[in-house]
Amino acid sequence: MNRVVINADLGKQIISRHIYGHFAEHLGRCVYEGLWVGKDSPIPNTRGFRNDVVDALKNLNIPNLRWPGGCFADTYHWMDGIGPYEKRPSMVNIHWGGTTENNHCGTHEFLDLCEQLGSKNHRCEPYIAANVGSGTVKEMAEWLEYITMPGQSPMANLRRRNGRQDPWPLTFWGVGNENWGCGGNMRPQYYADLYRQYQSYCRHFTPNGKLYKVACGLTDEWNEILMRDCARFMDGLSVHYYTVPGDWHKKGSATDFTTDEWKRTLQKAANIEPFIKCTAAIMDRYDPEKRVGIVMDEWGTWFDVEPGTNPGFLYQQNTIRDALVAGVSLNIFNNHADRVQVANIAQMVNVLQAVILTEGGKMLLTPTYHVFEMYKVHQDATLLPSSVDSAVYLPGSPLVGVAGAGGYNRMAEVRQISASASRDSGGAINVTVCNLHEDASAEVEIELRGAAVSTVKGRVLTAAAQNTMNTFEKPDVVKPQAIDATVSKTGITVNLPARAVAALELR
Amino acid sequence: MNGECKGCERSAALHLPEREVQRLLAGYLASHPGERVADDGTYADRLAVCRACPDVQFGGTTCRHCGCLVAVRAKLADKACPSTASRWSLLVG
Repeated sequence: MNRVVINADLGKQIISRHIYGHFAEHLGRCVYEGLWVGKDSPIPNTRGFRNDVVDALKNLNIPNLRWPGGCFADTYHWMDGIGPYEKRPSMVNIHWGGTTENNHCGTHEFLDLCEQLGSKNHRCEPYIAANVGSGTVKEMAEWLEYITMPGQSPMANLRRRNGRQDPWPLTFWGVGNENWGCGGNMRPQYYADLYRQYQSYCRHFTPNGKLYKVACGLTDEWNEILMRDCARFMDGLSVHYYTVPGDWHKKGSATDFTTDEWKRTLQKAANIEPFIKCTAAIMDRYDPEKRVGIVMDEWGTWFDVEPGTNPGFLYQQNTIRDALVAGVSLNIFNNHADRVQVANIAQMVNVLQAVILTEGGKMLLTPTYHVFEMYKVHQDATLLPSSVDSAVYLPGSPLVGVAGAGGYNRMAEVRQISASASRDSGGAINVTVCNLHEDASAEVEIELRGAAVSTVKGRVLTAAAQNTMNTFEKPDVVKPQAIDATVSKTGITVNLPARAVAALELR
Repeated sequence: MNGECKGCERSAALHLPEREVQRLLAGYLASHPGERVADDGTYADRLAVCRACPDVQFGGTTCRHCGCLVAVRAKLADKACPSTASRWSLLVG
């Protein structure tokens, strides 16, 4: 029997809704075609963004959207993306295939997208990653002035001439991206000094506006130096973690894989937990009050591209295996909400572990989309500490291929069941629970301590095979279904099918 | 990541030489033995449409609507032009 114990009377920590953030980079068909088709496109759109995709994304209550990169961020010069289209210079996207872009999706358009993704009761916050690698302090400072200045200033007046009277709301600001690599190939001491310099001029000009400033992190030594020298100047430390079943030269197929690859993928996904613990331990030395957050602003699966597509587009299909990766990862983020404050799945549309795929005027929701929809109940809810007792599914083992994060030469033991729980503002207790096993169902008993439950509603996402997916021909093969759960004196019992992600609402 | 290069510059080469396109086409067909392929005439007609299409990028290799290599997509009998203009639909046969 698998057992989940939830301590309903011990909840203190809020799960930041920003753990459920997304990432849209100028790469392949994510921004251009996936989101932006232009105002003159035959595909129905609102000011250039396709309506079908925006409508579907709105249902996820997306809390923040990171843009324009990624590697692209440290090549992006924002002034090339404002003003009349015909006057915007084109640019060469050097990191992603050398494609020439017309700069039509720039600052105004991105911030409009964030507004379109919001609603009366919900705001999608922009998270801009600004250019350190090939930019200047002046360029970065002026971008902030352009976006946030309400009064008279050169940049505010330029914004008005470009059609926007009021400043935009803005919270998250990344000072560079992967500056240890494509963002300048810097050494940690050099970046730490640059970070201190750049952030000094990152001002929010709107009264009561506050920037959440994100510094670029990596792993052990780099993070140690950044925290030692910069902790008091930052709000978040950006780290990235990709789940790659093979290595960077042969990552493995997204859809044609063995049971061994299924297991290795889930074990690598679950290895994000020791990475978070290791990062948090370094941060604890310099920030014991846990003010600075882990910003996991790129995470997800990275497979070989779909056969027959351009390799530079990083377009991959998405199966129930991806749903398990998402479910396990989000449970881990929830359970480490004391340190994980922001996370952004890579990427939103058509690239890597996308929640939406498009093909011309068609669109489909991937299994990963449904996980985000089922888990949105955790946003800004109170984490209820929980423990899981279940069989060992994957014993600890030596590392194979890509580490996913540095400093690890082992893959940690993984249990068959993964879970997290929270209480929302209406008093409902939401439990998300995954059965990682590739072919065995699992009866799960959930014991609720410190609260009584009388009703339970459940949904489950599962599929007929390990590689079942939604396609443009059959877009609804993988979608949530109702699942029965039994309420008894001792708790709730639910029988999870193999390879399943479930969400239970307890009242 | 542990500072490893993810191979952006290596893997993100959008402009593919014809030899590489043909290698990827052969690889696709070898790994999808059950897929119906278009007859030679249809394949040639489709490629001619693609060659004239403004939405085919990177030296005529890649459709911007789906990211497919047109040499592969045109070869697959059951595929359609992904554009809303549905440019292959006027072809007979």
